[in-house]
Amino acid sequence: MVDHLPNLGREAEMLHSMGLESIEDLFSDIPEDIKRVEPLDLPLPQTEEEIWADAQRLLGANIAMNSRPNFLGAGLYQNFVPTMVPMMATRGEFLTAYTPYQPEVSQGMLQAMWEFQTMISELVGLPVSNVSMYDASTAAAEAITCAVRVHNRKASQPNVVYVTEWLPEHRLSVIQNYVVGADIEIRLLTTNDDGKINLEMAKNANGCCAVYVEQPNPFGIIDTNIQNLKEIIGDDTALIVGVNATSLGLLTPPGEYGADIVVGEGQAFGIGATAGGPIYGLFACTEKYLRQMPGRIVGKTFDSNGKQAFTLTLSTREQHIRRHKATSNICSNETLIALMGAMHMALLGPSGVQKLAIRNTAACEMTKRSVLSIPGIELLHNDSGENQPPQHYNEFSVILPGSATSALSFLNHRGVTGGLALSDIMEGADDSWLLISATDQTKLDDIQELSVGLNEWVLGGCS
Amino acid sequence: MSDIFAFKGAHDAGYAQPKPLISEDEISSLIPNSMVRKNPPKWPTASEPELVRHYTWLSSRNFGIDSGFYPLGSCTMKHNPRINERIVQLPGMNDIHPLAPESHLQGLLAIFYEMQEMLAHCSGMDQVTLQPVAGAQGEFAAIRCIQEYHRNNGDECRNKVIVPDSAHGTNPASAAMCGYEIIEIPSRDDGRLDLDALRAVTGDDTAAMMVTNPSTLGLFEPEIAEAAEIVHEAGGQMYYDGANFNAILGKTSPGLMGFDAVHYNLHKTFSQPHGGGGPGSGPIGVKNHLAQYLPKPLVDRRKDAKGIDGYSYFWINPENSIGKVQQWHGNAGAVVRSWAFYRRYGRELEKMSEHAVLNANYLRYRILNPDSASLQGIPAMPVDGAPADVVKHEFTLSMSPIKDTTGVSGKDVAKRLLDYGYMAPTLYFPMIVPECLMIEPTETESKEVLDKFADDFLAILSEDPEIVKSAPHSTDVGRVDEVWAARNLVLRHPLED
Repeated sequence: MVDHLPNLGREAEMLHSMGLESIEDLFSDIPEDIKRVEPLDLPLPQTEEEIWADAQRLLGANIAMNSRPNFLGAGLYQNFVPTMVPMMATRGEFLTAYTPYQPEVSQGMLQAMWEFQTMISELVGLPVSNVSMYDASTAAAEAITCAVRVHNRKASQPNVVYVTEWLPEHRLSVIQNYVVGADIEIRLLTTNDDGKINLEMAKNANGCCAVYVEQPNPFGIIDTNIQNLKEIIGDDTALIVGVNATSLGLLTPPGEYGADIVVGEGQAFGIGATAGGPIYGLFACTEKYLRQMPGRIVGKTFDSNGKQAFTLTLSTREQHIRRHKATSNICSNETLIALMGAMHMALLGPSGVQKLAIRNTAACEMTKRSVLSIPGIELLHNDSGENQPPQHYNEFSVILPGSATSALSFLNHRGVTGGLALSDIMEGADDSWLLISATDQTKLDDIQELSVGLNEWVLGGCS
Repeated sequence: MSDIFAFKGAHDAGYAQPKPLISEDEISSLIPNSMVRKNPPKWPTASEPELVRHYTWLSSRNFGIDSGFYPLGSCTMKHNPRINERIVQLPGMNDIHPLAPESHLQGLLAIFYEMQEMLAHCSGMDQVTLQPVAGAQGEFAAIRCIQEYHRNNGDECRNKVIVPDSAHGTNPASAAMCGYEIIEIPSRDDGRLDLDALRAVTGDDTAAMMVTNPSTLGLFEPEIAEAAEIVHEAGGQMYYDGANFNAILGKTSPGLMGFDAVHYNLHKTFSQPHGGGGPGSGPIGVKNHLAQYLPKPLVDRRKDAKGIDGYSYFWINPENSIGKVQQWHGNAGAVVRSWAFYRRYGRELEKMSEHAVLNANYLRYRILNPDSASLQGIPAMPVDGAPADVVKHEFTLSMSPIKDTTGVSGKDVAKRLLDYGYMAPTLYFPMIVPECLMIEPTETESKEVLDKFADDFLAILSEDPEIVKSAPHSTDVGRVDEVWAARNLVLRHPLED
């Protein structure tokens, strides 16, 4: 028996009051030949208790990251979300509200999102942030189409966008889908042997509409060359930087080295990896891109009595007004998750975010040292000539003396989730390349178990 | 006014965290000198007690379904069961990585598989992907599949997508993002699809038609099968916008109507909370001829005595997949909530639609047929947005007669409803109805709530027009100046010390 229908058993009373006989009268407008004849072939209704039991059984069959040493990452990281965050964000007034189209009764969420915009603006060093995109990949994709709308008239290479080499396929593929309709040509920006952007090749990008790079890059390397990119590509080419959000607790905000648009994954602030969604994408930009920006944005204003108030603004860019001429089709976004992010960021504060970034850096470094002490395992991109070896944030990539898939399977049997085989997520990656991610949640014991396991795999002939 | 940037309770120390694995002094040697951040972000310096009070205060200034009746047309603001929130907090949900080995995700994959099958069954489609994270993204992904289908058939000259003028704005926006030219066809005077207008624009350049049925007027399109025939005969594909699926589940299906592709709004039909604007989830279903283009990966299963209920589950990539539209597996958390919702109804999901339609018709009748006592003092009554014997899950009212008589606009009435403790209906959409209010009560409202709303609505119509025009009066802020916001663009806190 279904228990969320308050009018169950009162159908006849309601129908009769409007002169109808049966529920079927309400569906008399559906032509007979397209009516469903067979009842739905679905299981019997369940009670809340039965659903809870089934959910625990099924989701209990998954292996949670924190139940064992875990080194998965590639853009989504194991984290700790302060208890306050889900408790406050799931207050019904936030959880069950729609988009704040009626500002008079939505000041709470509007103010929270205006505060979110401020915190993201501070984090990345750009004046404007929207209220979230779906995730880092769609944020990157829509940053590219936004930049092309702004620049293609003046560009000497109209509709051309350079994208960093070695982008994981899960992000590259999203970008490729989003640019099809805008007739944008994607070219690759190559990297040096040290894994960083090739600044000589970057000169080719001068005069195109945009360049998209990631900081740290997909191998986990903090790419110092990116700081010099804007000078090379020039004012008429947008520099779009995809960031690992927590890294900015320690690293220079891209706005300070000339980024025009900053995108990235917000997940580590606010919510667990949650199988990849719902999470939220960051999108911040300079004023030049504001009117071509996708998504919603909140502005401060006043009410009829001159009292401070907040409202959605610049809606004339959006689909519900501009229809096919809108800057994006985005309607539902990830507001509630952005709210969780804002709560987490507010709790961390300026020094808390720095501490969090330090913990991530420290865990990455300890893991790197331990893994690189194993004979036969080398850092990928160690070929940096006179320069010091690359430095990393959250993750690093190594070359194994055998296949990464084999190592991961060996580790998995020992109860260690050892990372990702780069050949599974990057076109052209060798099958010996392993991406190892460590976060603030990584413990010394976890690192120990990873290294002991990898060492045994090597000693056992890499099989 | 609670200002999050004014708190000082954390004394700049921030949230206490365990010590890093390496001493802090050593950290500076691990970051390239040129990349070290000079000034930390000026984030709040607030302690947990201050923040809990701040966010509680903010929540008290926000209206959700939990606060009161939320008749926002086209948005299906139904009750969000709380068990769903408890389920997604399980570590087997919120602490799993999408790229973990399949063996770590068997429970999730089992739920995904069940949801793919359930959604396909309810809509009369053959294959479903759960990856798109919002309705608009579902539209985009499905139109991309249709685009690849035409390309594969050597039909690259099909460059037009047809939408009725009553369509949601996302339809033309999504098709335009795929590079299509949009052909908008006018509705008939009675608000229904105009088949003659459709015939006039279909041809060998037609890629697809996008239709919402029931339409945004809340009306079932009686000639939908004929429309599908016209488009198919021209070689185009039929796309079903599932925003209004709540009206027909179990009664008919997009498959029976002749559609080739459909998106579902899990945040409408299947109770994923709207969260103040998202997250949503917009899976798509397609007929077999489009299945090879779906975003990758999908979930499949094989018999395995050691697996969950006799099966082990695995990812599988469609042969000519368009690739990905979100980098992981979509909004998995929304899919799991929706799974918990559907399990509550099971084979009785049809009752959900029956009650959604019952409530909409009941409320419409109550508003448009007041007793003579209520009618006294009402200078003019609203009229149906389009003529109909019965509506589906929502209905439209044109407030034009009121505006013509007293000058009170649809917007004024909507704002006055806020004073009575209701969320306003959807305003001025669809655009084909002048002074439109679009009302969708959903199945989770009781008869008493509907009766009270109808009484209050009629009471507003008999109020002093000046009170209504200057509404709202009892909300946290008065009518908000949106023009000032757009002219001045104060988009962040100035953070002046």
